[in-house]
Amino acid sequence: MVGVLIGMRALILRKNAQGKRIWGTLALLVVVLALAGSTFAAGLAHYAQPGAGADVLATLSFGWLLGWVAGPVMTGDDATLRLDYFKLLPIPPRKLAHAMLGANFANVSLVFSFLAFAGMIAYGARSGAQAALVGVVAVLLNLVLAVVASTVAVGVLGPTISSRRGRDFSSVLVALVITLLSLASAVVPFLARKLTDGSSPVLAGVVRGLPSGWGADAVQSAADGHTATALLPLAGLVALIAALVLVWPPLLARRLTLSGRGSSRRTSRQKAYVAVGARRLLPSTPLGAVIGKELRMYSRSVLRSVQLMIALLVGVLTSVIVALSGSTSGLPFGGLLFTVIAAACFTNLYGDDGSALWLTLTTPHAERADVTGRQWAWFLVAGPPGLLLTVLLTAAGGQNWAWPWALSGEAAVALGGTGLTVLVSVLSMQPLSADGGPTPGRQVKAHLMLVAVPVLCCLPPLALLLPGALTGTTWLEWTAVPVALAWGALLCRLGNRTATRRLTARGPELFALVRRPAS
Amino acid sequence: MSRVPGVSGVPALPAVPALEFSGLVKRFGGQTAVDHVDLVVPPGSFFGLVGPNGAGKTTSLSMATGLLRPDAGAVRIFGHDVWADPVAAKELVGVLPDGMALPDRLTGREVLTYLGLLRGMAREVVEQRAAELLAVLELDAAESTAIVDYSTGMRKKITLATALLHGPRLLVLDEPFEAIDPVSAATIRTILQRFVRGGGSVVFSSHVMALVEQLCDHVAVIARGRVEAAGALDDVRGEHPTLDEAFVHIVGARAGGAEGLSWLAS
Repeated sequence: MVGVLIGMRALILRKNAQGKRIWGTLALLVVVLALAGSTFAAGLAHYAQPGAGADVLATLSFGWLLGWVAGPVMTGDDATLRLDYFKLLPIPPRKLAHAMLGANFANVSLVFSFLAFAGMIAYGARSGAQAALVGVVAVLLNLVLAVVASTVAVGVLGPTISSRRGRDFSSVLVALVITLLSLASAVVPFLARKLTDGSSPVLAGVVRGLPSGWGADAVQSAADGHTATALLPLAGLVALIAALVLVWPPLLARRLTLSGRGSSRRTSRQKAYVAVGARRLLPSTPLGAVIGKELRMYSRSVLRSVQLMIALLVGVLTSVIVALSGSTSGLPFGGLLFTVIAAACFTNLYGDDGSALWLTLTTPHAERADVTGRQWAWFLVAGPPGLLLTVLLTAAGGQNWAWPWALSGEAAVALGGTGLTVLVSVLSMQPLSADGGPTPGRQVKAHLMLVAVPVLCCLPPLALLLPGALTGTTWLEWTAVPVALAWGALLCRLGNRTATRRLTARGPELFALVRRPAS
Repeated sequence: MSRVPGVSGVPALPAVPALEFSGLVKRFGGQTAVDHVDLVVPPGSFFGLVGPNGAGKTTSLSMATGLLRPDAGAVRIFGHDVWADPVAAKELVGVLPDGMALPDRLTGREVLTYLGLLRGMAREVVEQRAAELLAVLELDAAESTAIVDYSTGMRKKITLATALLHGPRLLVLDEPFEAIDPVSAATIRTILQRFVRGGGSVVFSSHVMALVEQLCDHVAVIARGRVEAAGALDDVRGEHPTLDEAFVHIVGARAGGAEGLSWLAS
């Protein structure tokens, strides 16, 4: 049966790969290979502090194992061997469980993970054959743990993911991982320094105490000549794997008997929405109706609120973490970073709403109100918090030189973003996938916008800020603020007009792009 | 133009068709989904559009409601060309498409309020109509439930409410009875019959012949993108005892299922 499942997965992968996403796959391959190579290199590096190498390897192993567990959860489910396919087959859960576990070992990711974990062998080899041998065992156990933990994670999280509400949970998880990755550039050097100079025994204890650190810990013990002590963490790994293998069949049985929508949980998760008096603040006009609808979507749709949360966390934490490591010059731009990310995330408003566009198209004269209402709602959600963050963080950092830079940047992106979000949303509509998650195409677009939005918005004010700063002309720097306001307002208006015109003229063609989920 | 049978006292309506397709064509790639469709829906009629899967029903109705641009031909709603004079046409029609999303984090009442205001209706009118629609469609018990948590039948009903909200003269409904429980179906049937008795016109597509036979006074059979038969129900049914049999005859289909499978239950 393992053979049948492996054959089925290979066939589905081959069909999926036909003709599309070849460049995306290649890019992913290069990135993963680079990550694996650098993890391996960490095993070869020289460390001044004894044991620091094992701490670093333990941390990196944690990252890899997290990837194994979070990966399938992030993609919604195992996209090839969906558990739902097997619901109706008369196969005992235990047999199916073992077959699926076996099939999951036929995974090309294991090659990269092997390269990454092999850093432990290299690290051990420097202290002798015995430590290298312990390294080999540790690598093999880590690989098995990766596959088993990943299989069990999908089994545990699967039912909630395939329900409409359950995807909300998955979105939060994705958001957290994206946030962690975005912060990695700030956090990793910080952690690496703490670990390599041995200044944080607590941190070292934590990374080695987690199961992901047990392998590295065993190698270190063997390197120090404590062979008996080295066996303990390895035995721990074996026990953990055995425990996971034991709980997997009952978990799978539970998963297979749950309804696809996880109905037992749904009721408890249902949120009750009560009409609030605040809506009375909005005018009873078409524009007011769209603003109200959009603001509700921002607060209630997990896809939207999570993106706002990412923007806020990344914006604030990046500048604050950098400030904690000694350089406060980034602080004034925390608010700007928040607004830029918030703009980039919401450049697919129509695609994310999918076929709901039919309501706008069947309502007479609705296009302008729809575009303008979406603009107002985004501005209300992203503008004031961005400005507040900018003012607070600039003041907190005491960076007085930065005021014209931070204020003009924030003004340009808050106003310009109001134009660009809706314009890009109309120019390129990327529907969500069938299970409601963002597609790779949508994510690529958001990442491109992460660069395009600040460049488009900030060039005119920068043209004044740079010469002002180079010549020490303060008034020139301050003129960037009104210029940013004017340029942002222009972008806002241009975005509104172009988007409205296109939505009015090409409504049915645009609707054809989003009427079905992406396949 | 024929009148609604069995209903008297319907005010004389102008002879302009409620909905008129003329020479409608739509191709997707090399495939012709709708092939020169001509169809007249008389005002005040309850019009059923039947046809096998993939016959072009949804494609035709999408072109009638401004959601899909035809490659050739015209669609008129009470004389207003849907593509040349969309605003006037959209004022007169209420639409229930099949399987389309709604702003699903809103409650039923919020969606209705949003759409009413978007159409420029006064808030008091919108609130009063939304309350009535929610009550009649028995959605008022789910007052604080977001549409994302609605069942399929509830979704159908709230979409019907959005189609009725502005008091249209024509309803274009794509599979309004699919995946609906019998009680909800009866509710919707009654509402639609009242709408027609009050002078409104209904066009709906369906697979269920018995339902079409029971509700409609006019029917059109579409197959392979063409109108194979259209007219008053009795005329289309002809000498066949049921619409079901007439349909199989008109479409020229052969009910399969008799060959092979000798191992099944033997």
